Order: sequence, then C-alpha cells, then structure tokens
Amino acid sequence: MTVTLAQAINRGIHDAMEADDRVLMFGEDVGKLGGVFRVTDTLQETFGTDRVYDTPLAESGIIGTAIGLAMYGFRPVAEMQFDGFAYPAFEQFTSHLAKMRNRSRGRVKLPVTVRIPFGGGIGAVEHHSESPETYWAHTAGLKVVSPGTVADGYAMTRAAIAADDPVIVLEPKRRYWMKDDLELPVTTEPLHKAVVRRPGTDVTVVAYGPMLKTAMEAADAAEEEGWSLEVVDLRSLSPIDTDTLVASLQRTGRMVVVHEAAQSLGPAAEIAARMQQEAFYHLEAPILRATGYDTPYPPAMLEEFWLPDVDRILDRVEEALDY
Amino acid sequence: MAELITYRDAVKRAIAQEMRRDDSVYLIGEDVGDAGGVFKATKGLLDEFGPVRVRDTPISEEAILGAAMGAAMTGLRPIAEIMFSDFLATCWDLVAVEMAKTRYMTDGQVTLPLVIRTANGGGLRFGAQHSQAVENWAMAVPGLKVVAPSNPHDLIGLFAAAVRDDDPVLFFEQKSLYPTKGHVEEGEIVEELGTAKIVRSGTDVTIVALASMVRRAEQAADELAEQGISAEVIDLRSLVPLDATTIIESVVKTSRLVTVEENPRLCGWGSEVVSLVAEEAFWHLDGPLTRVTTPHIPLPSADALEDEVLPSVQRIVDGCVKAVS
Repeated sequence: MTVTLAQAINRGIHDAMEADDRVLMFGEDVGKLGGVFRVTDTLQETFGTDRVYDTPLAESGIIGTAIGLAMYGFRPVAEMQFDGFAYPAFEQFTSHLAKMRNRSRGRVKLPVTVRIPFGGGIGAVEHHSESPETYWAHTAGLKVVSPGTVADGYAMTRAAIAADDPVIVLEPKRRYWMKDDLELPVTTEPLHKAVVRRPGTDVTVVAYGPMLKTAMEAADAAEEEGWSLEVVDLRSLSPIDTDTLVASLQRTGRMVVVHEAAQSLGPAAEIAARMQQEAFYHLEAPILRATGYDTPYPPAMLEEFWLPDVDRILDRVEEALDY
Repeated sequence: MAELITYRDAVKRAIAQEMRRDDSVYLIGEDVGDAGGVFKATKGLLDEFGPVRVRDTPISEEAILGAAMGAAMTGLRPIAEIMFSDFLATCWDLVAVEMAKTRYMTDGQVTLPLVIRTANGGGLRFGAQHSQAVENWAMAVPGLKVVAPSNPHDLIGLFAAAVRDDDPVLFFEQKSLYPTKGHVEEGEIVEELGTAKIVRSGTDVTIVALASMVRRAEQAADELAEQGISAEVIDLRSLVPLDATTIIESVVKTSRLVTVEENPRLCGWGSEVVSLVAEEAFWHLDGPLTRVTTPHIPLPSADALEDEVLPSVQRIVDGCVKAVS
C-alpha cells in the first residue's frame, strides 16, 4: 500500500500499542485531535483515553511523567509538539532521562521514546523550525535517530519503542506527506546502522531525516554533470555508525555531510572529525559540510535561502572534487 | 606590580571592576549576596554595592534569566549567576529561544547586553548532575557568545569584555579552578573576546585546550619535551567567537593537531575545530587530527572513576605521541 511518512509512523505506534499493553502515547493534542500533524490520528479511538491522552501545555511535565511511568514498567511514547518546544523540558532530558540508568548503575532503565517533529521547510513561524539534534547527540545517555524513508518511519518507530533506553526520534516534519509503498510486516536495518541508499564512486554524500530526499535529488542532478554520488542515510546520530561511513569513504575518498542544523558543532562536524581520525589516509579532500547557517532560523519567507538545497550540496561536491 | 590571586577572587575583582565603572551593571542570582556565592566567588560585593545592585533571588533559574533579560531590554547590563552550569537546562528555553534570538527577531532593534556566569565542569566529585561541561550547548546556539577562561588574569579581562559587549555572553567559570592562583597586574584589565592565546610555543604538534584542560595540556607539553616532542599549546579562551586564525596558523606550522575537551565526545567543540582545520589547512596536515575527550558517558562521582574518565596529562601525551607518529 502507498502511505505517507506520517501514516507510517502512525501505524508503527499503533502496532506497538497493539503488541504491548505497556505502551502509552501522550503529549499536547495527540489524543482527541490526533496531533497537529495527524501523526497520532485515530489512536485514541482505538486504544482509549487511558493509553492515548492529551496533556497540558507543559513539556517539562510531559517528559517528567514519561520518566516516572517508565520507572514503573510502562513504555511511554511522548510527543514534543515542535522541536522548539523541547527546550522547556531540557532539564528533564539532560539531567534525568539521559542519566538514570547510569546513576542507578544499570538498575533503573528508562524505555522512553520521545517523538519530535523537527526541522524547517513548512513555512512555520519562529521557534517552529529548529534543528536541535546537536544538543541531543551531545547529551550522553540519549540515543538519537531520524527516519528519512517511509519504511523507516514505521520500522524505526517500532525499534525505538522496543528499546530499553531513551530514544529521541527526530521526525522530519517537512517530509510527513512524502509517499511510498509500505508492505507490512517490514523490518529495516538495525536502529543505529547507517545505510547506503544509492551506490556511487566519486563522492559520498551523508544525510539523514529531511535532507535524505534532498541528497538523493542532488545525486540525480550530479549524474548530469557526470559525477557519481554515493548517498549514505545516517539514520542514527547517536550512536553514529562509523564503520559504514569509513567503508564508503574508502570507496570514494571524498565526503560531503548534509544537515539543516547550524554548522557549528553539528553532526557534520562530528562525522568530519571522526573521518579525519579513522580514515585519514583515504581522504582525497577534506570532509566538507553543507548545512544550515550559524544564525537563528529565519522567517518563513527566507527559509528557502537558509536551508541546504541541491545547489548547496552540489557546490560542496564540486569543491571536494576539485581537490 | 602583579599580585598572586585565586581564580575565585578574580571573579569578585572582575565583577567589582565593572560595577564600579558602570552604574547600570548589577548582579543577580541564588545566594550571590548574603552568602557570597556557593563558591564564595561573590563575597564582599553586597557590602560594597548594596542590596539593590547585588540581589539574591528565589531558587528559580527561569526567573533569574527572565528578569535579567527584561532588565537588559530596558537599559541595564545584568550579570546573572546560574549556580551550577547544569542548571542552565532548567532555563534553556530562555537562553536558546529568547536571548539568542531577540536581536535577530527584532531586526537589531533590541539587543541584550547581559552576562550569564556559571560554575561549569567536573573535577570536584559532584556527580553527573553537578559536574557537566556544558559550554557546547551554548556554542550550538547561533546568537550567543561563549567564553571559558583558564586563569585569573584572563578571567578578569574576558569578563570585562563580556559585560561591555552588547550581546548575551555565557561565561563559564571552571569550578575546579576556583582555588588555583595566577599573577594579575594592578588596575583595569580588559581583553578582547574571540582571541585565543598561545601559552607555549612549539613546532611538532598543536594542542588546543580550554579552561581546566589548559594546565593539563601545558603539563603534557613538559612531558613531551622530555621525549623530544615540541608541543605548541593554545588556550582557546572563547568558543564564540572562535579564533580559528590562531589555530590554523599554528597547525600550518606544526602540521598536527590535538584538541583536549572536558565534555562528552559527540558533537563537542573539538569536532568543530578539527573540521575547520581540516578544511582550511588540508594540504598542511601530516597525520590524523586527534581529539582527546571525556568518553561519551554521564560523569561519575566516585574519585577514581572521575579521574579515570576526564582527560589526564597521560592521555594528552599519548594523543600527541600518536599524532606525530
């Protein structure tokens, strides 16, 4: 069947709830309304208000509640309505959710999934287009993933809910309406494995979440220039699958890393630093980055100039090839 | 005539220097007044400047920063203390969403000349929730300036620059450095933000370090010298603005780079420095760029474990030996 990414995630949550009574879904407007992006549509009708429920507008309370429920044996799925709304809950994320297993010497696990629609591209107002993955990746104790395909929307949601540790699932909101075939049951690669989506020989382009589609389009466009791009879907930002990246770099010798988040300290910096260390003698050029700018996210009318696009990726590809 | 003072006393001297100079500067935070600060770094300021300019607050970090932001919008130059940098998480919405963006969202019409000073980092056995080195949270937010001095002189000079800056500055005081001493000359000290300092010259490898890691990098350089390796040590001092020029010029000379970070590994400032150097000085590099960091784990509180995970002199030496071999 052909479904959207939003529907695939919805089905993933649905099937996880059907398979395990301990799975709960809660957040702002996720129940009666079915979520502002309709990702949780019909779940409350199916599973009732005890298992799918609306919360007050208090993100800190949402994550705090998720931690408490997880301690008592539930497997909560909590939604932050928008990326920029996760900041009021930052303390619960960094001091408690991320550290409980470590502080209790492994005795208290927190199987919490936090779903966060993130990134720009939908013409939203300020604070609604953030790419905060750098904080999450930098916080030891959190796992961070981002699906870039419809199948991963389903499978990574299931895998995150099944994991015994907290997983932040960054859902690319601009791709919620992206359609593809989904045949169930589907299992994709393990949650923290990167995947080569398109083999190539000249330059490796690494992307995740919303930028995967853009990277694939860049690879199509590059063909016309006679460049063969290998596209790697990173999928997991913490931990990072270094082996798959090194293997690709051994084939191409050149790499461009793409994300919407600002350049400073972003996952692209982490990957570039790793490749410098792990694959130095395979490098034909420095690892280059095609990212958002080091400014706050602009008003909607300017976002097309701010977000990385095919041109920005290909400019960096050309630069890498010129070395 | 230079006197020997502690990093702790340098904080007090820096705040007093700026408050004497400018009536619009004031200090606000938990226990900064009567108690003189939980680390005693603000002791005596209440006596000199009185309770209107040195204000104790309730235990509400959001209220502290919200008040500071409002005061900055209306013409004051607040210095807000967040007792432990870990507690910034409780008010991160104000830092990341409000302070960092106000200048942009008002098209430059509203600036926020405020300083958030906070006790940062590990080394004192305070465990996972009171020992984090969180300067990278701030570096990842476009719109903030980020400073972390390693010695009393720099603390005063950079603090003065932070107070005089028209944009929000996060000023990270490394809490294990409070009892350490350094020579500081008399009179007003003002430095420039965004300037790194070469604290030891060398030719074989460049070590870039910040705050508590600077002293360790210098000790590592001493040991490396005994092995015949000449290390140049750069005290980064500020993450935003980042003095990439000083680092790149040094790497052009040495061809090798080792960064030393106290924070967890993933997406720390070392990754940014390595990425920039690799891009700008690719043809000058003779070996892999190396990061020495705390492993990607919450910081343990037990003495032996904390010592084990924080970058030690030995690990810095090992990193440099590997880089030059």
